[in-house]
Parts: sequence; C-alpha cells; structure tokens
Amino acid sequence: MKQISVIIASFLFSLLFFEKYIGLNLSIFSIITIVFLGVYNPVKFKDKTVLLFTLAYLLTAVFVFVQHSYLSIIANCVAFFTLVGRVSQSNTSIYVNWLNGLYTTIAGFFHRNIQVDEDKTKVKWNKDIDVLHWTKLIGIPLFFVIMFVLLYKNGNPVFNDLISKIDFSFINVQWVLFSVLGYYLFSNISKPIRVEPATSTDLNVKNELLKSDDFSEEKLQKEKQLGTTLIGLLNLLIVFYIVTDISYLMTNQTVKASVFSSQVHSGINTLISSIIIAIIIILYVFRGNLNFYKENKVLKYLTYTWIILNALLIVLIAIKNHNYITAFGLTYKRIGVHIYILLAFIGLITTFIKVLSIKNMAFLFRRNTQIAFIALIGFSSINWDHAITSYNLNHAKSFDLDYLIGLSENNALLLKKYSQKAELSSNYYNRIDKKYATYLQRTEERSWQEKAYADFYLTENDKSL
Amino acid sequence: MNLPSNLSKSCLIAAVIFWIIIATEEKDIGLMPIMFVSLIPIFFVVTIVVIGSICPIFWLRKSETFGNKAIFKTFYPYYAIIAFGICSFGIIASDFDIYMIAFFTSAFITTSQCWVWFAKEKD
Repeated sequence: MKQISVIIASFLFSLLFFEKYIGLNLSIFSIITIVFLGVYNPVKFKDKTVLLFTLAYLLTAVFVFVQHSYLSIIANCVAFFTLVGRVSQSNTSIYVNWLNGLYTTIAGFFHRNIQVDEDKTKVKWNKDIDVLHWTKLIGIPLFFVIMFVLLYKNGNPVFNDLISKIDFSFINVQWVLFSVLGYYLFSNISKPIRVEPATSTDLNVKNELLKSDDFSEEKLQKEKQLGTTLIGLLNLLIVFYIVTDISYLMTNQTVKASVFSSQVHSGINTLISSIIIAIIIILYVFRGNLNFYKENKVLKYLTYTWIILNALLIVLIAIKNHNYITAFGLTYKRIGVHIYILLAFIGLITTFIKVLSIKNMAFLFRRNTQIAFIALIGFSSINWDHAITSYNLNHAKSFDLDYLIGLSENNALLLKKYSQKAELSSNYYNRIDKKYATYLQRTEERSWQEKAYADFYLTENDKSL
Repeated sequence: MNLPSNLSKSCLIAAVIFWIIIATEEKDIGLMPIMFVSLIPIFFVVTIVVIGSICPIFWLRKSETFGNKAIFKTFYPYYAIIAFGICSFGIIASDFDIYMIAFFTSAFITTSQCWVWFAKEKD
C-alpha cells in the first residue's frame, strides 16, 4: 500500500514539475504533500500545532499561486520543512523542526537504512523479497546486455539495422529519473525522522532560567556594579543622542538625493548595529545568577529604560527611512531596512520579556525564530514588485524608472499602463513595451502547471494594450 | 574500518550514477571507452572526499561507548545537510549543466551511501 501511494505521488511529482517553471504546480504539490503526510501520520495530525503548521503551509501555497514571487516560493519551502519537522516531533523549537524537516527530506532514505535492524517489519519484508539479489539479477545483466548491443552495433551492419529499428524514443529517461527523485522525496517524508541528540536536548531545555549552585553575593555585587555603571552611562549617551536626532529631524531641510542616501544608509547601518550590540550587552549582564540577586532592582530599571530608549531610537530610524521613501520611492533595500528594524524592535521586546520574566537564551531563540517564521509568511503574502511599482508611480515624489523596469514581470502591466499615460522618452517607452511583450508571450506559452493567478485574469483589454 | 572495500563500492556507485545521468543526454557510443577510463579520476575523487571528510569523523570520535551507528546518527545529519547545500549550489551555479548535475548528484548519493556502509560495519 505504501509503495503504491509513493509511486502515485512520484508520478504526480513528475507531472507537476518535469521541465516546468514554478507556478500552480507548487501549490498543488503542497496539497499532495499534506494529504500524503496525513495518510501516513494520522495520529500526528491530531496535534493542534501540527494543524497550525499545516495551515501555514497551505497559506504559503496560496501565496505562491496568487503572488508568484521568489519570496513566496522561499516561504513555501521553509513552511514545508517546518511541517515535516513538526510531524517528526511536536513540541520542539521551530529551528529543530527545520533541522528535522530538512534532514528527513534530503536524507531520510539513508537514515532508515541504518535503522533497518530495529524495524522488524522491514526485516521481514527484506527476508521475503531479497531486494539486493533481484537488483543484481536485473541490473547487472541489463547493463552488460546494453553495453554489448552498443558494441556489436558497430561490428555488423545487419545487426545495426535490426537494432536501429527498435524505437525506445517513447521512453523519456530524464522523466523516469525525475520520477525517481519524486519517489525518493515522498519515500523520505512518509515517515519523518528526528535528528538526535539535537531533538531530545531541545525537548529537555525549558524556557526558565535556573539559579546555579555557584551563587556568590560578593561576586554578584561586583557584577551588579559593573552592569549599573555600564548601562547607566549608555542610558545617558542614548538620551543625548535621541535629543540631537530629534532636533535634526525637526530642522531637516531638503538635501540632494545622494547626500540624503549616504546619510540614511550610514546612519541606519550604525544604529541597527548599536541595537544589536545593546541586546548582546543585556543578554550578557542577565545571563545567570544576577537575575536572582535581591539588590538588582536599579540595574533592572536601568535596563528597561535602555530597552525603551532603544525602541525610541528604532522609531526615529523608521521615520528617517520613511522620509527617504516618500522622497525617492520604494526599493527592495529600503523595504529591507523597514523589515530589519521591525525585527530589531521585536528582538528588543523579547529581550525585555526575558529580563522581566527571568527567561533563558533558549526562550529568546525560540520566540525570535518563531516570529521570524511568521514574518516570512506575512511578507510573502505581498507582491513586492507590484507594490513597489504601484507606490512609486502613484505616491513617490521622484523615482528611478530604470530600477522599476529591472524588476520582475509582476509589474509589466502596471508599467505598460503608466507608459501610455505619462510622457516618456522613446528609450523608456521601448523598454517597457519590450518587457510587456515578453510578459504576454511567456503568459501565453505557460502550461497549466506554470500558471499564476494573474495569468487567468489577464483580460483582452490588457492584451491589446 | 574496511576502507578499501568501501572505496571500491563507492567508486562503482559514483560511476554508475554519473554515467546514467549523462546517458540521458549523450547517447554516443564513442563515450564507452571514456566511461571505463573515467573510473580512474572517479576513484581519486571518491578517495579524496571519503578520506578527507568522512573517515576523520569515525577516526576521531569512535570509542568503546560511541560506536559506528552512534557516530552516524550524531554527525551524518549535519554532513548530509552541508553536502546537500554545496551540491545544490554547484548545480544551480552551473545553470543546471548536465555534467554538473551528474557530478554533484553522484557525489551526494555516494558519500551518503558510504556513511551507511561505514555505520553498518561491526564495532
């Protein structure tokens, strides 16, 4: 039964992906994978977290079809590994799910080969059917027969004519090998495996920080003094910086694009680094017994203040980046800065919770990776090329048209409509026209497996633009 | 560790996978002699990769309490993930050239199978 369903799944895998670009096929593959995993692991699918990750995987499958962007494809792959990892072992951290999912997908076959002695049914099956013997019995004679046929072909024209009449062109060997790849993939994920000792170690590590045996008040007093001095001074410094930064933002006048760009990029890079260093300092200070020291209140309040001031600093960076976007339009790099500062902001919040609730580093890694995963899925729901083009054409004070033309075909229709309304140089007009023509041609040539949502809703009016 | 036996089997498996993939595009009978001659460089490559990347792990970590299977279960997952990453990168960087696909696919499968053979040896 298992073999039959794996063979059917591998056949579908070839049908969907062989010599095809990504599109509807990846969404269908996701559904097949969920059904396949559900059939082989019905008990696991009663777990609520597994169902939640299944939903996330389905959501990314929908985004691949609707948005058809690289990010949605990446999110779908990550969600796939997460789900497979979750089925292998629930209640583990998300990064352990990734490890288990990735390992199961790429090397499950080899791992199970080692476990064969422990698997009684497999041993029995191997005894009933000697696979190795049958492989040798078929493979070795077949190899040598083919080899000698090819050699004899050159030795005798009559034999050559006879052999030439045998037509095996209906068999596509690459398709067969691709199906074997599909078989390997589905066979691997049919019974997800766990990477040990990483999985059991993760299961044993709780989120709470525990007081260690070497609790020394004298040592902690010194640590507290160092921490208070350091964080107190850094608080003063950051207050001073924020005041100057706010005054800079209030009196900011229009400057040249290149100067503005340089100011924003160097400033933002430095500030983001400073926030990361701030998080590292807090984690170092509150790494151990200082969390349980009675006289740590001042240090804790200073730390909370510093976290809040760093959060304020992030808001200022966001305002600068937003001003930059309003003036010169959206680009991937500028969106990247926004995402980066959002994640840094979340990092500060989780650090705050860690200090407040006396949590350990595992808690921080677990929460932050979970948030990163959610953020990835959330951001994959947006068609960024379309969003960037739409924003720049409609809202930005100035923008780089070369940059927009260089983006993927997702913005071809928008640019084409824009070129018909705006007065553009012939160079720009021709380039947009060429891009749109290529987009239409590719849309026409795409097979059903490669289609995206937009391809089905391309109207005759759009085609005749 | 039965290194000569494992190297011979690995060399054979690498050559078979490599040429099966190549044969899907190149059906020239003239490749037949090259196929046999290729066993020499394949043997060298397999030897270097196996002795350079798999054997040291077994040599360094094997002890009375930590047998072949335990070494496999502890280290092979990371080895497989890294090897898969390198092989995938190689295939993509070569723009899916058939020779590169054949080389990296055979490298991944051969090294993985080699791990299995080493792990199955009696402690």
